[in-house]
Amino acid sequence: MNKSILLPLLTMAVMLWSFTTPSKYEEAMKKQINNVYQANTLDEFQVVINALDRIAQNEDDKWEPLYYAGFGYIMMGTRTEDAAQKDKLLDQALEKVTAGLKLQPQEDELIVLEGFIHMIRVTVDPATRGQQYSGLSMQALNKALAMDANNPRAMYMLGQMELGTARFFGSDTTAPCEKLKKAVVLFENQKPEGELSPVWGQESAVRAAQACN
Amino acid sequence: MKAIFTSFILLLYAGHVIGQSTIAGRVVDEKGEGLPGVNVFLVDTYDGTSTDLQGHFSFKTSEEGSYQLKATFVGYETMSQDVTLPGDNEISFLLKEAINRLDAVVISAGSFSAGEESNREVLKPLDIVTTAGATADIAGALNTLPGTQTVGETGRLFVRGGDGYETRTYIDGMEVLESYSPSAPNTPSRGRFSPFMFKGTSFSTGGYSAEYGQALSSALILNTKDMAAQNRTDLSLMSVGADVSHSQVFGKSSISGKIQYTNLEPYFALISQRINYDKAPEAWDGNMAYRHQIGETGMLKTYANWSSSRLAVYQPQPFTNQEDRLEIDNNYHYLNVSYRDVINTKWSFNTGAAYTSSKEDIQFNDVDIEDQLSGAHVKGVVNFDPDASLSIRTGLEHYYRQHNYNLSEENEFKENYNQHISTGFIEADYYLSNDLVIRSGVRAETNNLNRQTNVYPRLSVAQQLGEHGQVSLGYGKFSQQAQQEYLRVNTNLDEEKATHYIANYQYMKGKRTFRVEGYYKSYNDLVKDGTQGPNNDGQGYATGFDVFWRDNQSVSGLDYWVSYSYIDSERDYRDYPQQATPAFSSTHNLSVVGKYFVQDIKTQIGATYSFASARPYNNINEEAFNAGRTPAYHDLSVNFSYLYRSNVIIHASVTNVLGVDNIFGYEYASEPNEEGIYQSQPIKQMAPRFIFLGVFITIAKNKAVNQMPNL
Repeated sequence: MNKSILLPLLTMAVMLWSFTTPSKYEEAMKKQINNVYQANTLDEFQVVINALDRIAQNEDDKWEPLYYAGFGYIMMGTRTEDAAQKDKLLDQALEKVTAGLKLQPQEDELIVLEGFIHMIRVTVDPATRGQQYSGLSMQALNKALAMDANNPRAMYMLGQMELGTARFFGSDTTAPCEKLKKAVVLFENQKPEGELSPVWGQESAVRAAQACN
Repeated sequence: MKAIFTSFILLLYAGHVIGQSTIAGRVVDEKGEGLPGVNVFLVDTYDGTSTDLQGHFSFKTSEEGSYQLKATFVGYETMSQDVTLPGDNEISFLLKEAINRLDAVVISAGSFSAGEESNREVLKPLDIVTTAGATADIAGALNTLPGTQTVGETGRLFVRGGDGYETRTYIDGMEVLESYSPSAPNTPSRGRFSPFMFKGTSFSTGGYSAEYGQALSSALILNTKDMAAQNRTDLSLMSVGADVSHSQVFGKSSISGKIQYTNLEPYFALISQRINYDKAPEAWDGNMAYRHQIGETGMLKTYANWSSSRLAVYQPQPFTNQEDRLEIDNNYHYLNVSYRDVINTKWSFNTGAAYTSSKEDIQFNDVDIEDQLSGAHVKGVVNFDPDASLSIRTGLEHYYRQHNYNLSEENEFKENYNQHISTGFIEADYYLSNDLVIRSGVRAETNNLNRQTNVYPRLSVAQQLGEHGQVSLGYGKFSQQAQQEYLRVNTNLDEEKATHYIANYQYMKGKRTFRVEGYYKSYNDLVKDGTQGPNNDGQGYATGFDVFWRDNQSVSGLDYWVSYSYIDSERDYRDYPQQATPAFSSTHNLSVVGKYFVQDIKTQIGATYSFASARPYNNINEEAFNAGRTPAYHDLSVNFSYLYRSNVIIHASVTNVLGVDNIFGYEYASEPNEEGIYQSQPIKQMAPRFIFLGVFITIAKNKAVNQMPNL
């Protein structure tokens, strides 16, 4: 082989390699996003959240690590029975979401998480918190839909909240059920902005829409 | 050639072999136990891991140079150590629990607080308002808590052997004078402020903070809601009147207003009362609240309340055919402005000003009395929090009170006074750990009328026991200036004083709370009628214990609490000839409160049973003072709130369902009869029951919003 061609060829190969391979950040995030979707126990979630925190402290302009850490804390909250513990986890989630919004105030997915946090807060003490936090939750979810009318997660959770309210007061459930059906359609057609964009919620939305009548 | 190629390839994969270090170790807490889930990582890299169940960690890194290795865990203080790479490192961390004020033990001696935020509050504001028998009156609801005595004919708060005037109300830290609306003698009055305005209530039955003063027994500390959450209009149609209120939210501010009209005449026409009203109570009330966010952290709150009421009643003179006519016209204004803000992470402040003006025109037959009390209060408090374990607050206040009393019969008779009280206080909360806190403070007051300066120390401690229990102790000296009817006669009167000693044990697990509290109060310098006018020769004591049990868990949908108080109290004050148990103090007080939500009929049912043992009364025919005893007091009240639609509620409440003919005391004739005996007649309730009906409508964008939390 010609010696003079080898070096440039190898150099090009290395350069191509670094362009087509994902960055360290994206690699790490894809792995952790997968982990957070797969996690089940509180310990498993904590390990993922820690990894996301490590990424976040290195990338102070990225909202995604904060988003998924917040998501992880919310998931931990839904798997906790103890009221005080649940509140603490939701506080942690809200810290992550607030930090994310500081970086990207117009990111509708973060506002969806905010609505999600308020929704779970109600479950701690529905009688006392029902009115205040369901109001805050629907406010956030509506705000997210105003930013992106096709956000399937916002549509799904808003439908869930309205369905809960309608069932409690014994009023008509047509409008909430419509929202849930629309959410299913939005999930089928969702086009994530990037490889790190949130995609969760489809299974739950489908189940909820089927149960709604 | 091959050598260059090989070494080049080797270089490409170099990272896998050269410069790999292993960092391993263990993270433990102060007890030496491993902490799982701790995040251990090299700062400014992605490299790190989480500890396992025993607190062990191990990870590899190819970084080189000097790095910081950090261990972080929620609820604990972060620790870090330096490592030099490459090189295998064995590192251990000991993490200390971080003091978290939201989690730490809270001093509970002598205090019941109801807040929306924390799970550890014994009561929620909702509880205060949904209590049957209270008819949405704050004092009425607080009367079901331990430490209070049922004095049904007044409707006021009497705490642990103290008279009704010994409780002072503060709204957003600022004093409120005349917080009860006027009523005919022996008819219950209501608080002027609706519980709906408040997000947090702290009711102290003794030992309250150095930030407050001028109350011998207890402080009712109310915090108004912050910004309104959304635009809404509420309309209430009630058997006693109607009100309309509206809240409007702007970007950084919100404004809420309410107008209320009350007229008991239609109700009295339907349900006869024991006394004869010439004019049934009629009142117009208006209030307005304005909130404005200033910057990121500042909040300006303005609250104004105005009220105008009239009533006229015929009071028969016992055992004669004559009756007196009493008319009371009252005009009341209250304005409260407060501002709080954060300067930086360590310093914050809150400041405020309040003004009360209450003018009563009283006509008693031909006699005209003008009774006017106005007061201003300004206050500034600075908070210094150097770290999570220490919180110091200090402040200065000034109170101005003016009282005018004019009586015109044939001649004019005037008494008045202007009073200035300046106070300063300093108080510190020191958290030795999340399980132990000490609060100590001192308050100094100087009064221009008697030219005295007094110093009042306060001390309380709370120690967490295990996960669910705590013990709390409180001590303090408290004072209150003489009541206006005495102060206007002798402006030199000293403050009345009380010393409190309190010990309490509390156990909260899940949604159950158990609480027992014992106390001793000694009273000094109480005002007594003397031959040369009022003096400070009175004294007294009050001792006893309270038991409280609340369960929101055992039966699904049922929330109930039981509160029992035992009190032994005697005092020598006012016109007492000797030390005796006062007429408002009954030895045993019991309240059982229950609320149950029936989903199928969308109705909340509430019931309250109150019992008070015999109350003393003074039988003029007997030598011993206050030796008579009334029969025991029983009251069973119920209420229903029916969710007709998501934004319409129908509410009904009835007090004294069983129609018990309770006797509060006895009135005696002014002249003895032929046998030389003064005849008596019992003081009873105005009517066997009070029935209240209301429809509450909310108009808001969020259809789920309604007044249910307020009922």
